[in-house]
Amino acid sequence: MIDADLKPPPVLHPGQSLESVTNQITGLVMPRPIQRTWIIGFGIGSVLIMVLGYSVCWLISQGVGVWGINMPVAWGFAIVNFVWWIGIGHAGTFISAMLLLMRQDWRTSINRFAEAMTLFAVACAGMFPLLHLGRPWVFYWLIPYPNTMKLWPQFRSPLVWDVFAVGTYLTVSLIFWYVGLIPDFATMRDRAKTKPAWLIYGCLSLGWRGASRHWKRYQTAYLLLAGLAAPLVISVHSVVGMDFAAALVPGWHSTIFPPYFVAGAILSGFAMVLTLAIPLRAIYKLQNLVTLRHIDNCAKLMLITALIVSYGYGMELLAGWYSGNPFDSFVSQNRMFGPYAWSWWTIMTCNVMVPQFLWFRSIRRSVPTMFFICILIQIGMWTERFVIVITSLHREFMPSGWGAYEPTRFDWSTLLGTMGFFLAGFFLFIRFIPMISMSEVRELVHTSNGGRHEPTDFEPKYVD
Amino acid sequence: MPQDRLVNNTLPLSEIRHRLAAADGPTYWRSLQELSCTDEFRQSIADEFPALGERFNDSTSRREVLKIMAASLALLGITGCFYKHPQEKIVPYVKTPDQTIPGLPLYFATAMPMNGYGIGVLALSREGRPLKIEGNPDHPASLGAANAFMQASILDLYDPDRSRTVQRSGRTATWSNLLGILNPRLQTKLTNGSGLRLLTGTITSPTLLSQIQQFLQRYPGSQCHQYDPLHTPDGELPKNIFTTPLDTLHDFTKADVILTIGSDFLTTHPASLRYARQFIDGRRVRQDHLKMNRLYVIESAMTLTGSMADHRLAIAPSDFQLHTARLGHMLGIGGDVVPESRSVPSLSVQKQHWLDTVAADLTSAATSLIIAGADQPPSVHAMVHRINQRLNNIGRSVYHIDSVAPSAQHSLKDLVTDMQDGNVDTLLILGGNPAYDAPIDIPFASMLQNLSTQRRGRDYQNLTIHLGTHANETAWNCQWHIPQSHYLESWGDIRAHDGTASIIQPLIAPLFASKSEWELMETLLDHPDRDGIESIRNHWAKSVTSDFETWWLQTLQRGTIDGTSAPLRKDLTLRPDLPGFSFSDETPHPENAEIIFAPDPTAWTGEYANNAWLQELPKPFTKLTWDNAIAINVRMAENLGGSARPLVDGHIVRVDYQGRSLEAPVVILPGQADGVIAMTLGYGRTHGGTVLTDDGAPRGYNAYQLRTSARPWVDVGARVTFTGRIVPLAITRNHHAMDTAPGMNSIEQSLKPQNIAQPGISEENLELHNRKIVRTATLEQFQQNQNVIQNLDIASRKPLLSLYQPWNYDHGLQWGMSIDQTACIGCNACIVACQAENNIPVVGKEQVMRQREMHWIRIDNYFSGPVDSPSVYHQPVPCMHCENAPCEYVCPVGATTHSDEGLNEMTYNRCIGTRYCSNNCPYKVRRFNFFLYSDYDSNTRRLQHNPDVSVRSRGVMEKCTYCVQRIDNTRIEMEKQVLDLREQARLALEPADQKRLLLAADERGRQIIAGLQTACQQSCPTQAIVFGDLRDPQSQVARLKREPADYGLLTDLTTKPRTTYLARFTNPHPDLAPGTLA
Repeated sequence: MIDADLKPPPVLHPGQSLESVTNQITGLVMPRPIQRTWIIGFGIGSVLIMVLGYSVCWLISQGVGVWGINMPVAWGFAIVNFVWWIGIGHAGTFISAMLLLMRQDWRTSINRFAEAMTLFAVACAGMFPLLHLGRPWVFYWLIPYPNTMKLWPQFRSPLVWDVFAVGTYLTVSLIFWYVGLIPDFATMRDRAKTKPAWLIYGCLSLGWRGASRHWKRYQTAYLLLAGLAAPLVISVHSVVGMDFAAALVPGWHSTIFPPYFVAGAILSGFAMVLTLAIPLRAIYKLQNLVTLRHIDNCAKLMLITALIVSYGYGMELLAGWYSGNPFDSFVSQNRMFGPYAWSWWTIMTCNVMVPQFLWFRSIRRSVPTMFFICILIQIGMWTERFVIVITSLHREFMPSGWGAYEPTRFDWSTLLGTMGFFLAGFFLFIRFIPMISMSEVRELVHTSNGGRHEPTDFEPKYVD
Repeated sequence: MPQDRLVNNTLPLSEIRHRLAAADGPTYWRSLQELSCTDEFRQSIADEFPALGERFNDSTSRREVLKIMAASLALLGITGCFYKHPQEKIVPYVKTPDQTIPGLPLYFATAMPMNGYGIGVLALSREGRPLKIEGNPDHPASLGAANAFMQASILDLYDPDRSRTVQRSGRTATWSNLLGILNPRLQTKLTNGSGLRLLTGTITSPTLLSQIQQFLQRYPGSQCHQYDPLHTPDGELPKNIFTTPLDTLHDFTKADVILTIGSDFLTTHPASLRYARQFIDGRRVRQDHLKMNRLYVIESAMTLTGSMADHRLAIAPSDFQLHTARLGHMLGIGGDVVPESRSVPSLSVQKQHWLDTVAADLTSAATSLIIAGADQPPSVHAMVHRINQRLNNIGRSVYHIDSVAPSAQHSLKDLVTDMQDGNVDTLLILGGNPAYDAPIDIPFASMLQNLSTQRRGRDYQNLTIHLGTHANETAWNCQWHIPQSHYLESWGDIRAHDGTASIIQPLIAPLFASKSEWELMETLLDHPDRDGIESIRNHWAKSVTSDFETWWLQTLQRGTIDGTSAPLRKDLTLRPDLPGFSFSDETPHPENAEIIFAPDPTAWTGEYANNAWLQELPKPFTKLTWDNAIAINVRMAENLGGSARPLVDGHIVRVDYQGRSLEAPVVILPGQADGVIAMTLGYGRTHGGTVLTDDGAPRGYNAYQLRTSARPWVDVGARVTFTGRIVPLAITRNHHAMDTAPGMNSIEQSLKPQNIAQPGISEENLELHNRKIVRTATLEQFQQNQNVIQNLDIASRKPLLSLYQPWNYDHGLQWGMSIDQTACIGCNACIVACQAENNIPVVGKEQVMRQREMHWIRIDNYFSGPVDSPSVYHQPVPCMHCENAPCEYVCPVGATTHSDEGLNEMTYNRCIGTRYCSNNCPYKVRRFNFFLYSDYDSNTRRLQHNPDVSVRSRGVMEKCTYCVQRIDNTRIEMEKQVLDLREQARLALEPADQKRLLLAADERGRQIIAGLQTACQQSCPTQAIVFGDLRDPQSQVARLKREPADYGLLTDLTTKPRTTYLARFTNPHPDLAPGTLA
């Protein structure tokens, strides 16, 4: 007995047919329209990749001293950026795996590019721990490989756990993304006009013919992968949180870090999804597929995670005061009133105050406002990592070891460069790969158009 | 290569044959020219690349040129001319030199000259290379310790900026070129030597003094002038208050109460190492020794001596006479010295009370000692002498000897007057740098330039020659420059503060074509080829009655010459014509500030300005590196900038003084007397090296530009104004280390942590707010309750919980360190010793500003109390070698691990540079190679590297190792000897013999381990650092760790540090508030 007014609005605009969906989505790739927005976007990305290349070459030739790190702040932008990018990489797998398992049908319109976003974000993130090494050319010592000296990594170190967590996450996200793409690659193959396209998409589709048996096995595999990927969403940022929590640095040494990091990651991830989705649906006229319902749902998730994150901030302050530990209480005071107070107040504004607007339906459904809020949250989440890394390190136990941190232009250029890498990668993705999952959207169209089965909340949709 | 030049020069073939014959092993050589290594050969190399000479003048490409030159010299094989044993027989300190065992170090006793006085050193030589300086325990001025300058002198030896050849007007020349000019000129002087002048620094060398005497006799009418930037005007020299010049020496072991009036006896005195040891020996409080001396200090600037004071009175320099007179008055001296009729200005109530208490304490003490600074006027010295007499200290804690350094007959001022009058035509400058460090009112530099450039027709009219290690400012104003040998490459002799003479013996043949001052004097005496050793032996052979060769060997081995210490003088008569006191009652303020000149704690008077270790050494208190600054106190910072925006470190002020002015940055130093600006000498140099300039621009400011010959130490009447500009300074300390810091807004003030724990703080405050990094108590509190220090740490009374089984350290050798904060005077010797021992690179000013300095041990200062009158605590911080080291478990590759002897070890090869260990180190003692800091390029500096210690490359972490290379060498030696004795025991027939030998083996092992010292420990003048085996209950370190005053830093983190501290004890007078009275 659900009140008609409270029923959620439809996921897709009415009037979609299977053919129109396929035509619309393949049309973004196949006839290859020359678009000025794409060229500009890809151009900016490529220029920034060159900035990245220059920064990395200079870094490797000179040493990590080109960055602003010092003693005591031995970790700087590299780690801040790493945690930030990894966090962004959370939303994709969360949308694909978690929401799939939770039977959220609205995910189908956004999961493909969210997953792509994840892959590029994790790739950006993965660069930083390697670049930040004093001797990056021996990074493979972090990996347990058999060697003549019988030396293994030191498994008590959270950095080793990081290697596994990030590595696994990247691998599983990639497989999951690719498996989801197989039916769409087959569609692309079937619509290919040129031989090279036919060959490439043909190879990528792994001989998919759309047989019922194919669909059955495909869906089982997809579900299993989702089951595998879902815990990784939790684990990867928990491990990143443990990089800090396992140390004894005041401001790091806190049990709340893993859940608080995961919530923060999902917050920044959804902010990034919307930051990408809002321009995409405008440029590629996808308002019929990526609807206000999607934006609304993402905003709600952001509100929830922002509340968890705010709880985390509150708990840190409480622990600092309640523990009676002079070092912990000093950290809280120093964050609020010390030399980097601006950063703490920035996160309070961006991550605690701003998300409160999301309580309002009108704001959740106002596209420009949402875009603006998402940008603020991205900034807030980056600053949060800055606060955690920098303000904790710069004033620790021994006042004689206190210092200050000032990023150099290479810190900034490397951050910008990875943004370019992300941007360029993403533009290549939307150029060559259907950015919305055709097979799943078609299924959604099928069910919402009153196919064989009425969609209910309780019936499994993918078991035929 | 210009062959014709070489062909034209005859090769000294007989000499080459001789050298080849003398060589021990096979000697490889490429050409006869190379082998002969003559001046001509060196010059041919210099001529080979004329373009380099031009590029060298361009500061930006200089670095590049240095690299090219190093490479080209190496290619040409001139490196083969570098480092070899001196040809003469030199004698090591203990071990016989017959067979040097490759890989094993040898120690040679020699002496380092510092401002004319000698300090005994043991120089370590490895495969012919001098590598490290230690103090000579048998030498009265060292007692086994070495200060920062001595430690850093090894780097001077290998300085690539040293002069390499004789130079004429800046161009490479040869020794024979010079002789061709010099000898005819000297011939003309044999009959009438007027116009021939010698300019030297302070000289105590018996041989050199006699050579100078011969010189003056040989050239009748010639004169010898003396100038030393540390000299007080002759009439005011402290030694001249007596009818004959007498040096006043002190014995601090014989004093319960010590008062210094402006004397920084712990750092600037020629006997400071000895005095520091003696002074601290009287302050070591232990559970079974509850006694310490009491130190009162009256001073203006903040000195290390002042920081050790139990009570410190900070007054302006012009007030010293008044306070001394007052004190004398209170002790019943007065009469003729302070005429009753004169109106003596009165003192403030607090200061009067301070002096009353000191006077009463001095009178009631069983033994006492009063020492006045060398820069004090004769009236103060005379009064101090009278007070010492009154207190019966003469002959007990104060004694007198004939002055060790004879007074100069002629001064620099006389020389300049003569130069102005045209009475000088030949000037020989033996070392030093008077063109830079002469008082500003004596225009020596311009007169010297004038003298050098005057021509008669095409020829120079005059001859000016400079002997110096570097082509410094004086060399640039002379026609000729002769490279001077370093003390580690020349023979010589020198006296210590108490007259004890030492032979300076070289460890290495001169690296470059250099001459020592003794050799140059022989040249002037018409023995141009006489080696230094010959002069020295000739001189001493006259006075030695026993078999000379035996005497020579023994003397060289011991490092001091028996029976040379000056006899005590009992007949002490003050000169009747001493000037009386003069008082001023003006209050100093920025418009009329009092100015203090002092040698810089690291660049000294300028002679160490090209030493990168010293440049990067953080100066005491200010922790400033690579620059000097004007120290002002907080009140003056507020006066100059306004109390709302007081000046901060680096703000530039303008000082107007006697019609001259100078702009320089300030550093704010709490505790300095009000209205006083303290300037240090030794900076603002322009010539003589690449380190002393910053890309061609002078480093720091040149205080000599304000210093006059009449008032070289203190004066009134300086006007200080703020220019409104600021310059970045490379300061390694953070202001927040002070419990009170100026220039912080109220929020920042509330963020400053409390670091000093002392009895009297409430338990709650100790628990909740105090980091308890420095713990201190008074002697009285410790006498009443020996647990007073432990009671300061409530948390440590609770058992520390751990999830893991503790590691078992109950076997073998277990290393630990104890640092006595009562004994640490903050002198920095340990930092440089560590740098020399462990191949620690310098990083340069820009990197220091980015907080990337590499010192493995640092000295933290904590200030407490009001900002105008603080107390200071020194705390050396090396790696703590935690048993539960937080750095170890976070390293992803296991590059830092724990040894079963309790060492926290770094495996550089395995380190990939995540820096996680440093983040997790609560003590922040790890250092990271952010760039390639180690010098792999300069071929001379490479020679200094300790072969036992890795030279770290870029991207790896490093830190204090407890000198693991010394530990390993000692352990190997111990095991060899113990195994040997055990083997003897095994073979012994009698059980009693077996038992005896086994016991002897244990005892021998224990002794060898007890002799092990880390580099910082070995050079520490006050033996504040003790290292050893914790498992041996008899070891010194184990005994210190059982002291109730022992505590560890941040132990509630369960780190279990192996380095622990002994609390700082003070001995304040019950009637006086502790700390400074300003």
